[in-house]
Amino acid sequence: MTNLFSIEYITIFTSFALLVLGLWGIISQKNIFKIIISFSIVNTSIHLLLVSLAYIRNRTAPIIDSAVDRVNAAEKVVDPVPHALVLTAIVIGIGITALMLSYAFTMYKQHKTLDINQYKSLKW
Amino acid sequence: MVSPIYIIAILLGMAFMLGLLSKSGTRIAGILTSVSLALPVYISISWFIQILSGNADAITIFTAGSVPPFSINLVMGLEEAFFTSAINILGLLGFIYLSADLKKQGVRAMALYLVLIMGLNVVVMTRDIFNLFVFMEIVTIAVAGLIYLKNDNQSKEAGFKYLVAVGIISLFFLIGIGFFYFYGGTLNIDGFIAANSVVVKGATIAIFFIIISIILELKPFPANGWALDVYQAATPGVSALISSGTATASIFVLYKLLPLGSEIWLQILTVVGAVTFLGSNFLGISQKNTNRLLGYSSIGQVGLLMMVIGFMPQLGSAFKMIFFSVFISHFLAKAGLFWLSGIVKKESITDWGILRGSNIALFLFGIFLFALVGFPPFPSFYGKWQMVMELAGTGRFIWIVIILLGSFFEGLYLFRWLGYAIKGEKSNEEKLQIPWDKIVPPFIFGISLFIAAYYANSMSVYGNTINLIPLVFILLLFVIDFLPAYIKNTITIGAMVYYAVNLYPSISDDTLRVVFAAIFLIGGILTMIAGYSVKGKRKGFFPFAVMMYFGLIGLIEAENLFQFFFAWELMTLGSYILIIRGKFSMKHAFNYMLFSLGGAYLIFLGIAMSSFGNTSLDIGIIGLSTMPGWSYTLLAIGFLTKTAALGLHIWLPGAHAEAESDVSPMVSGILLKGGVFGLIVLFLAMGGEQAASHPLLYSLGWLGAITALGGNLLAVFQEDAKRLLAYSSVANLGYILFALAFMTNIGWLSALTYSINHFLFKTLLFLAIGGVVLRVKTHNMYEMGGLIKQMPWSFIAVLIGIITLAGIPPLSGYAGKWLFYNAVITKGWYFQGVLVFFAGTIAFLYCFKLIYSVFLGQPKDRFRKVKEAPIWYLIPQFILIIGIMIFSARPDLVLKPIGALLTQSSYFPSDSLSWENVTASTNLGYWSGYKIMLVIGVMFAVLLVWLMYMSRKTQKVKQFNIVYAGERPFTPETTHFSHNMFSHYYKALGFLSAPLATRFWNITNDITHRIADGSKRLYTGNGQTYLAVIMAYIIIIYLIMF
Repeated sequence: MTNLFSIEYITIFTSFALLVLGLWGIISQKNIFKIIISFSIVNTSIHLLLVSLAYIRNRTAPIIDSAVDRVNAAEKVVDPVPHALVLTAIVIGIGITALMLSYAFTMYKQHKTLDINQYKSLKW
Repeated sequence: MVSPIYIIAILLGMAFMLGLLSKSGTRIAGILTSVSLALPVYISISWFIQILSGNADAITIFTAGSVPPFSINLVMGLEEAFFTSAINILGLLGFIYLSADLKKQGVRAMALYLVLIMGLNVVVMTRDIFNLFVFMEIVTIAVAGLIYLKNDNQSKEAGFKYLVAVGIISLFFLIGIGFFYFYGGTLNIDGFIAANSVVVKGATIAIFFIIISIILELKPFPANGWALDVYQAATPGVSALISSGTATASIFVLYKLLPLGSEIWLQILTVVGAVTFLGSNFLGISQKNTNRLLGYSSIGQVGLLMMVIGFMPQLGSAFKMIFFSVFISHFLAKAGLFWLSGIVKKESITDWGILRGSNIALFLFGIFLFALVGFPPFPSFYGKWQMVMELAGTGRFIWIVIILLGSFFEGLYLFRWLGYAIKGEKSNEEKLQIPWDKIVPPFIFGISLFIAAYYANSMSVYGNTINLIPLVFILLLFVIDFLPAYIKNTITIGAMVYYAVNLYPSISDDTLRVVFAAIFLIGGILTMIAGYSVKGKRKGFFPFAVMMYFGLIGLIEAENLFQFFFAWELMTLGSYILIIRGKFSMKHAFNYMLFSLGGAYLIFLGIAMSSFGNTSLDIGIIGLSTMPGWSYTLLAIGFLTKTAALGLHIWLPGAHAEAESDVSPMVSGILLKGGVFGLIVLFLAMGGEQAASHPLLYSLGWLGAITALGGNLLAVFQEDAKRLLAYSSVANLGYILFALAFMTNIGWLSALTYSINHFLFKTLLFLAIGGVVLRVKTHNMYEMGGLIKQMPWSFIAVLIGIITLAGIPPLSGYAGKWLFYNAVITKGWYFQGVLVFFAGTIAFLYCFKLIYSVFLGQPKDRFRKVKEAPIWYLIPQFILIIGIMIFSARPDLVLKPIGALLTQSSYFPSDSLSWENVTASTNLGYWSGYKIMLVIGVMFAVLLVWLMYMSRKTQKVKQFNIVYAGERPFTPETTHFSHNMFSHYYKALGFLSAPLATRFWNITNDITHRIADGSKRLYTGNGQTYLAVIMAYIIIIYLIMF
């Protein structure tokens, strides 16, 4: 609490800023690629959030090496679970993004436009 | 038993293995995929059966060799087994359905399919929240891949919208998971609940994000534009998977995760569900695109399920049954409908006439729709009933209104669709192609609906009071539908006779019931006799005729309100199908259904209000209602939709006139008495004589009088013989309503006399005119004329009919009138009485028109060779005439016991009519049917002899006795006297016959559709707008909650 500019607060604020930025991008950008990129930004911001929630002050990465020995690892490392989650989430995020991009690609091939306003054949 | 983990292992393993197979091996791949989809079906069902029967306990599967929270665990309990069974069966059948498409797409598409089913299984079973997230994402990817299958522009667009929307939603889910872990210190759902982490400050935000994302996955209105687009654009087989498969998994996830949150979530869920159910179904009414319409309906049903979950504490022990029945109806019917849509391949519901090319497809289509709307005996009927009753028990009437209104809108568009399928235009060149792999899945689901109905019935509190044997008989009639009509007719009549004989002893001590039972069953048998004249198979007629009669008889047998409503709905459904069989009946049958549905839901609401504060559901509780004003009014209006009181009558003329010749007497002479019986039940429950001064009765009396006048007036100006009779029925039911509203002993006696009379003469007239119409092939009276020579028997029948109708002595119509005027004078409703009297004189006009235009005058050239009506029409007519004669000569045979019953019952103790042999007397006068008959008979004989004597010198007009004056007009019939016969009266009174009610309902209809159509435009089609709505939705729910 002492210092707002400590690392955990900075990361949380950054992730929050990225989240808002990404969401804004999703609903304001008209270009489908930009929307997908905004989506990735939101994705990243959440990864950042998870990691920063796992952070415990004055501890190190949950990797057992010369700096951290097995015996007292529990007291020395930050919470490893969110890191594992983030790894999985990144993989999934990539999968989803890739699928979005391939959709965007085929849509572009057929309509020659990336403006989302042009894709309104289904409505009402 | 096989461990559930093998479900995942088999599906995932096969998905990977398929990747190794080369593209050329699609055939083998198809077989392998089917097998690997069949094994999970076996595993999940065997678990379900074992756990249900108590032979096995729920098991938890631990992974990675440790226990939670250090590893992921999966649970296979009763609920999980049920939902995975549903998903796996859908998976297998869906694959059979899609196999042709999937084979074209190659092995990879099959792998995708396997992954989807696997994902859904894990989503149901897992107890780890992050694992849940992962598999939800896997499902998303698989679905997005399958949407791609169709490979056209629209599906690309829809797939993209889907992917982005669901992608965003799951990111919010991920945020929730982050906080979930941060505050709860675990990823295990049970661990979180056990630690009671929900009370930790900050955990609420975690729960918020988690539950709101699941709600969004369930496509709440209006944040669901993306889902509608997907339903519309994807291959119907895939839409079926999304609608029944992923929605099933998501709804279970919601159910699973709700214990995480506090009570307030239940309320939120109720509101969200209600808004979705109502909104989605409302917008559906102006939708014509088949798959999109199904999307609206799908979303609406999920909304209803959300409501059910939201009301979990209020529904108490009934929750399971309600959830099961609503869920299973949606699950089976929606998948089935999407599958059928894939067979029909018509974008617009108006083109579904092609479905008639296949009986089995049409049959399935019908039962899926009935199941969705919630008609008995399908599961959702029991579910909705129980839900409404439970809500009524706690006084939640607004919610009931929402449920009923939403159901009404859903019924509206579904029945419009059914109308197009049964009666819509259909080109002859197009043939419906039904490969076996496309029809087997919906067929199995259709059969399953009946099995589910059986279980819903046995789980329902009042289910055991329903006699299922007639329903089985109806099903049997479907099975033997390939037989010729006369065989089925005989079987049906036999069954009705058998039923009547068995029924009589149980109701013989209640004359009132006996009278109505006689009208329904004897009337039914007589009208069925006319059916012998129909050649061929008459497909689909008999099951529904039996359904209608069984419904009617059920009203009489009903001991509690559940049975009553069950019977009411059966009757409505059966009669709807009978009516729509007419050649030009599509629109009229639809109107009939609209008014019937509306009426039925008003009755339902009335019942619900009556049940408030009462523990039983006996019919008598209506009278104990704690909100009598509401209950009585709602029930009365509900019944009046069936008796077609003026204002609610607009469906009747078309429905009765355009129905087939032998159906018109069924729906006019007999069916209308169902509504009368409803009114009788209501008025008795109100307390009979003691309630005589109730203001509702006073207004109903007026309504009856005005209906009598209006109906007769409208009848006079008809050119269509059947329409004339139909309007006359409106008026006659007005008399009955008026007389019932007296609430006096003699008033009721006259009402019952009227009911019997109306049954006798209207059935007779409709049969006679129906027979004529069959021969001359037109309804227009001015095109007929002079048929007395060709159809003397029909002429006699019509003559007897109109004498009875007009209330001329000596026939029984006069008995009704005599009693009626006694009642009016006793009651003192003079002004209304004058109206009704005036209406009676108007009846003479149309009676004359009917007999004159059809049978008298010069015969038209083209009808010189028509034959008498079929013998099968004449037989019931003359039985009815015998009935009229007996009733006319010896009215005491029927009226005495009824009078005795009314007097003895506590309802109408003050008797004012006394009998002396066959002479009835009141303090106003006396009357004897027998003597009148004799006197009139003698007068008639004398006059006849005199006339014959006077006309002995007349000679027949020869051909050249005619003086030709001018040219022959183009349509000579219209110059005939009988065309526009009463135009002079029209000039004087025509303004009274302005179609005000029709105009009112048309405007209402128009405005409703416009609003629906306008509001629908909130789905702009822009994927980005959809996303904005989703975010706005989250913010709004957040603001509501905190």
